[in-house]
Amino acid sequence: MRHSLRLLLILACALGSTPSFADGFAAVVSPPRFELTAKPGQTLRQVFELSNRAAAPAPFVFHTADWTLAPDFGVSFSDELQPGSCRPWVALERPEATLSASATMRYRFEVSVPADAAAGECRFGLLIEGKEPAIARSGGLQLPIAGRIGVIVYVTIGDAVPRLEILGPKTVSLNGRLLPTLRVHNAGTAHGRVSGYLSGTDATGTRFDFNPSDFPILPGEETDVYLTPSTANDDHPTLTFPVTVQGTLEWGRQKTELSQRFE
Amino acid sequence: MNPMGGRARSTAYWRCGLGALALGASMAWARDSPPEAPAGESPAPYHDHYIAGGGLALDISSDDAGSSDTSALAHSLRLDGVLSVLSGSGANAANRVEEYGIVLSSQWDTASYGAWSAELAARAGGSRSGAFGSAQSVVSLSERGMPFDGAWSADAGLGDVNVPNISLARFQSRFFLPTGPVLGLATEWHGPSRLQLVAGGGEPGIYEGVVVPTFQTLGGSTATLGAQFSPTPRWTLGGQLVGARDVTLFSNVLLDAPEQTSSTTGFLSAAWQGRSARAQLNLVNGSMSGLANATGIWLDAATTHSRLSQSFGAFRLDPNLSWGNQLVTDDLQGGYYHLDYQSRRWFADVGIDQAWSMSGLGADTTFASGAARYQLSRDLGIGGVANLRRTEAALGWSLEGYLDDRNRWGIGRGQVDYARDSEGSDATLTLSQGWNTTAGTRLSTSLEYQWSRSTALSVVAQAVSAVSLSVNGGGDLSSRLSVDGNVHWGVAISGPGAAAVMANVALSWKLARDWVLLGSYYEYRAGSWISVTVASPLAPPLSSMNPAMGQRAVFLTIRYQRAAGAHFVPLGGKPGSGSGELTGRIYLDANNNDRLDAGEEVAPNLTVVLDGRYSTRTDSNGQFAFAAVAAGHHVLTVVPDNLALPWILDDNGRVELNVRTRDHTDVSIAAHRASFGLNVPAAAGS
Repeated sequence: MRHSLRLLLILACALGSTPSFADGFAAVVSPPRFELTAKPGQTLRQVFELSNRAAAPAPFVFHTADWTLAPDFGVSFSDELQPGSCRPWVALERPEATLSASATMRYRFEVSVPADAAAGECRFGLLIEGKEPAIARSGGLQLPIAGRIGVIVYVTIGDAVPRLEILGPKTVSLNGRLLPTLRVHNAGTAHGRVSGYLSGTDATGTRFDFNPSDFPILPGEETDVYLTPSTANDDHPTLTFPVTVQGTLEWGRQKTELSQRFE
Repeated sequence: MNPMGGRARSTAYWRCGLGALALGASMAWARDSPPEAPAGESPAPYHDHYIAGGGLALDISSDDAGSSDTSALAHSLRLDGVLSVLSGSGANAANRVEEYGIVLSSQWDTASYGAWSAELAARAGGSRSGAFGSAQSVVSLSERGMPFDGAWSADAGLGDVNVPNISLARFQSRFFLPTGPVLGLATEWHGPSRLQLVAGGGEPGIYEGVVVPTFQTLGGSTATLGAQFSPTPRWTLGGQLVGARDVTLFSNVLLDAPEQTSSTTGFLSAAWQGRSARAQLNLVNGSMSGLANATGIWLDAATTHSRLSQSFGAFRLDPNLSWGNQLVTDDLQGGYYHLDYQSRRWFADVGIDQAWSMSGLGADTTFASGAARYQLSRDLGIGGVANLRRTEAALGWSLEGYLDDRNRWGIGRGQVDYARDSEGSDATLTLSQGWNTTAGTRLSTSLEYQWSRSTALSVVAQAVSAVSLSVNGGGDLSSRLSVDGNVHWGVAISGPGAAAVMANVALSWKLARDWVLLGSYYEYRAGSWISVTVASPLAPPLSSMNPAMGQRAVFLTIRYQRAAGAHFVPLGGKPGSGSGELTGRIYLDANNNDRLDAGEEVAPNLTVVLDGRYSTRTDSNGQFAFAAVAAGHHVLTVVPDNLALPWILDDNGRVELNVRTRDHTDVSIAAHRASFGLNVPAAAGS
């Protein structure tokens, strides 16, 4: 159940690329994520576009936030400066702006990496919020809420790299489907995402392709990587365990061969 | 400056799914307003830094400003004022061409008459060379999806339109029956059982112009009439007739041979569609004036099974087949077979096509091709293409291999091509790269080395090697101004050839909310060079000087563009479906005669629900209205909460009725005293 909720949450956010949530806040940001590299002493200058999709002018406020990835796949933002935060390296264009209906703004920000910065990864969030509380309606009840969009920024500094370790196989139930899953630990200095071409067979002898979930694995953290099966005719087949999976897993500039049996 | 001035700074965590990070979807969510932090427990807030103290100028555009106006049905208007100047230099340069005019395009949705569009282009100026004939304009008016009762809908066009074909004539994998433009009219009707009727005709012509299109009529006339329908879910049958009188065949127009002809051609087709297979048999028969009757028959089939798809067919097409004022592929018989395979890592395609000339005047040809691509890893893919073409007189083949690499700078490709036929051979090595750039900018480059050797009888055997560099890039300098350009430079390293450079730069400048200035400049220059040709085997080769040449062009467009409104969806229907108005009145039938008589009262403030979804209330006159209700059967339900006793509604206030397209349906709903019988008809529609 917990995983089902996770998946629903993931899908809800993933599909929310054209968000429109409540009266007074309807906006889209592009790109939704920055993955940058920089050398110590270098200043990166970037731009994202913010579009107001509401039918009325909307005031927005902008600020940075630190974030962490929780074990339950939630993202937690905090305004307070967290230990090791690189937000002091970040300069924003302005604290607030008002966009007329359907207007688009090019918002600039800079990341000035100090000359003595060690190899590693600078991560922060750019939060765009509706300045005025919006109104969400639930039946006859009206709730004042604040709409916001988070843009995640990764800056890899120097030669920081992910170093992923496959800790072992397991099976996890997602939305009522049992999936082969790998527990992965990142022993490196930058976040990594697992990708690769995997194939295998289940207990009935049916052949499947497997697509690993590409969630970020932050340095020092462990997470589950789901191997989602598909066939030429079915994107959501049901597996009969045990399942064997072979292929190559890749992240960053590294790769490893996988030959694993999932009970 | 504190961007969150006055906002509580407590440890506030707001959560969303991992999808934002993992899948990169731009997202937003709502959170409860952060609670006020208890005094003394809040850590020191972090104050963001700002570029230039937060004093940068705002960079805001409003590209879609008009689209937020949804107060009317969807409509748009685009009006371009265009100026183009083309000129050349060198001995054989074309004359200077000037073109200026307007291009207007408009679309608008209607509630009951489909979607309409109009195109108008008028060339106010002209070309000094007269290269574009005498035509000065293009005018067309068309509508699509006008609904009618009985599941019918109609498309129609008037002006410079294309002669329509039935869908079976459009769906042909190996051959096709072309549709040609005419100054006339065209219409297409869709009905039940997937019935399709097409008709159209007019004076054939061709489109011309640089930027402002014009339509040049060619004389004569064509007309067509066709129909197709599906007697069963799997079968579709159809036929079409097209006639042409005193027309200049389109191919002759291109050859500047104004010979006129007349023809009548018929087309019959039957198609079968299964779950994973399709087959279609086609027959064409007709004759052109002065030529023998010609027949064409061809069968196309395709199957799809898992990752494999196949297509194959056979054909026999007599010489001199035509379709209106268009020549179609003819003088051939043979067959073909194609096989495709696709998976996450593999793509492969092989095919062979064999054709023999029926008259013996054409060439018998075998064409075989194969292509494959394999994704070695997440970042690396390899592929290759091979082609072979064999005729009685010659054999030609080509090979291509490439490597795609997603590298730290972007996406690169290395590619090698080699081709050889009876007149020579050439090899090319290409390195191209699409570069990672910041948001709003783009850059790609390509470096190419080409070697070729000609062995044609008229040319002295000689090898030429050349190198060329292409750069394509651009950027959004601001929200209002973007610039894109490309430069292609090449030079011969050995053998005859000249350096050449081509450059093109285009800008888009948003002057105001609905106004945009588009401009582009093109220039091409090639140096002089010497070629060597053989005029006679008895004479020595001749050297000739190819003079330097150049072309340049400027294109300017000032554009007004505005779009607004919302697409119309009638209540209980789909977008574009037919609709009618539904009104009614609820009254207290005091004398129980099911008529609203003078002196009888009405029932205000009753809720009326359409199809259990859409509700309204009766006004002080007891009247209610639904402005646009989808054509068809509907159920009205009156909620009698505000109906005073002893009045009751028959059948619990349920009324069934039919709404017709573009019609007005009015119902009178009577409430009766409880002491009278309840089986009295409740409503009468008019």
